[in-house]
Amino acid sequence: MLLVRLVSAAGDGVSTGPTRIASTANPNAGFEMQRITKSAGVLLCTFALWGCRPADSEPSQANVRLDFDPSPPVVGDAGVRLTLSDAAGKPLYGGKVVLEGNMNHAGMKPSFAELREVEPGRHVGTLKFTMGGDWFIIVTANMPDGSRIERKVEVQGVRVP
Amino acid sequence: MNPVAVHVARTASPKTSFDLLRLPLIGRFLKWRYSRIAMQIPLLVISVVMIAHAFFGPQLAPKNLAALLTWVHFRGLVVIAVLMAGNLFCMACPFLLPRELARRWFSPRWEWPRWLRNKWPAIVLFVFVLFVYELFDLWADPWWTGALIVGYFAAATGVDALFRKASFCKYVCPIGQFNFLSSTMAPFEIAVRDHGVCTSCRTRDCIRGVRGSDPEVSAMGRLGGQSIGQRGCELALFQPRKVGNLDCTFCLDCVYACPHDNVGMVARLPAEELTVRGNRSGLRSIERRFDFTALITVFTFGAILNAFAMISPVYSLEHWLARVTGLRVEWPILGAIFAFGLVIEPVVILAAAAAWTRRAAQSRESALVIVNRFARSLVPLGFGVWLAHYGFHFFTGFLTIVPVAQNAIREALGVALLGSPLWQLGGLPESIVYPMEMGFLGLGLIGSIGVAWVIAREAYPARTRAVFAPWVLVHGILFASAAWIMNQPMDMRGTFLGG
Repeated sequence: MLLVRLVSAAGDGVSTGPTRIASTANPNAGFEMQRITKSAGVLLCTFALWGCRPADSEPSQANVRLDFDPSPPVVGDAGVRLTLSDAAGKPLYGGKVVLEGNMNHAGMKPSFAELREVEPGRHVGTLKFTMGGDWFIIVTANMPDGSRIERKVEVQGVRVP
Repeated sequence: MNPVAVHVARTASPKTSFDLLRLPLIGRFLKWRYSRIAMQIPLLVISVVMIAHAFFGPQLAPKNLAALLTWVHFRGLVVIAVLMAGNLFCMACPFLLPRELARRWFSPRWEWPRWLRNKWPAIVLFVFVLFVYELFDLWADPWWTGALIVGYFAAATGVDALFRKASFCKYVCPIGQFNFLSSTMAPFEIAVRDHGVCTSCRTRDCIRGVRGSDPEVSAMGRLGGQSIGQRGCELALFQPRKVGNLDCTFCLDCVYACPHDNVGMVARLPAEELTVRGNRSGLRSIERRFDFTALITVFTFGAILNAFAMISPVYSLEHWLARVTGLRVEWPILGAIFAFGLVIEPVVILAAAAAWTRRAAQSRESALVIVNRFARSLVPLGFGVWLAHYGFHFFTGFLTIVPVAQNAIREALGVALLGSPLWQLGGLPESIVYPMEMGFLGLGLIGSIGVAWVIAREAYPARTRAVFAPWVLVHGILFASAAWIMNQPMDMRGTFLGG
């Protein structure tokens, strides 16, 4: 993780200009090096661009609790209960909540669900687990005041019936 | 008629089969000297994008280009390309471009060590990659997938910067070995068109290369103080004595080097080369090489093990082993499963089949000689299992590249240049892919049985059926195992014991 952070930090705005390296061994080497450094420059810019992407907005004040029925979920439709509250445990109500379920293996189509609020801060709905294994759910709640709550919730070991 | 004689007779006469290099557009492109680089550059660009996204993109595998392209598209397309044509990945391999660049300034001085001129380094790396794939759940880890790609570039460049010829491809690269074995099932091979032309050839440019002082063509590097106009085969495959696709990267250097335009990419019967015995250029006799037997064993049993790791029984097995041994860490348990799947199980099955063969043939040959002889017959089935497994991921998820690319652009630039991600795009439904999987397995089984029959017939003409029987049983057991696995619901877990 430390390495990940270091690489990410390097991507956040560090860029260097191309450097010309002369060579006497090969008359074309200078030109070739210029090409390489240009390519490296493009590469660095690409990296920097990725590093400078907008940071994910992730309000830290909200608590998100997600429960499934059955628990752990089984392949097929699972009932979802979601509770939104602030740091003091007070319900955060009126939000529009959407779930996006993904398997941790690439190449699988995600599963979406829109939840309905049954009482302040409590949302219910159904999410389809299409395959057994480890899933993660991205919870997105757009609140009436315009803020957005986003959380990633791991759902390990969805069982195959 | 003796199969060797048949093969010699077949190769001695001019090839009249379909030749891709004689086609108007494709043939002209492939025969263009820079066609390989033209194919490598797009793959290099894609690799750079994948590396960038692995390190700086979202660390969620289904939304990351590195994880998606590596574990779904790349693996699927490699085996499908082999099935449709040949070893096209090695042909367009991006890992070799940095090496080509490096060789403009650095001439490798060393020969690859003699004691490592075999498949053992690649076998060790092949098993290592399979093991870390399961242990660290690489399919779910974009960052480590990116690190693996970077490591591959570094290894290819490092090895070939130090050692002459294509040492990395021939002795180190596990993907290359996978492709070499797989491409024995390909419908095309790089082969001499007319052996009569080779008989009168004195230059042997296809293996030696063309030396010259022309600065236009000296960019390939230097060898023995002389600049190389055109490389010959760097994998030591002398065209007139080359058999099939083993160790052939489809680089087409022999095509460019041949002054008689006598090398083509010709159609042939897939798997037929597995029935050919005797010395092959650059390989010697593969039926006498235990390293080849080990490679084929890892290729075949590894295919089943890799697919087995996708279904829920493997987790039950891991939990059972953890309970019995009291272990709470995964690597020794996974190591035990690998040891069983790649060593104990093959040894028991192949030794039993060899013992049966020896008894049926009333032969005094050692079990190892018999196993070495029949190991080739495992390749078609092994390839069928890889094809079914990788084909499943590719066919069910090939369109997911569209929303992931759209999302990557949107996140990188902050603008949805390609539109909003179409997350509803997936691939073919499993109900369509399942019969394809079974078809691939069935074709593999038929191929293995056919190869085993030819081997049995030429080695034991008087007792062919009796000798053939145990190997059909081996293929049947492996086929049944693979079919059972493919019939289980997929269950991808990156967690073990709740960790």
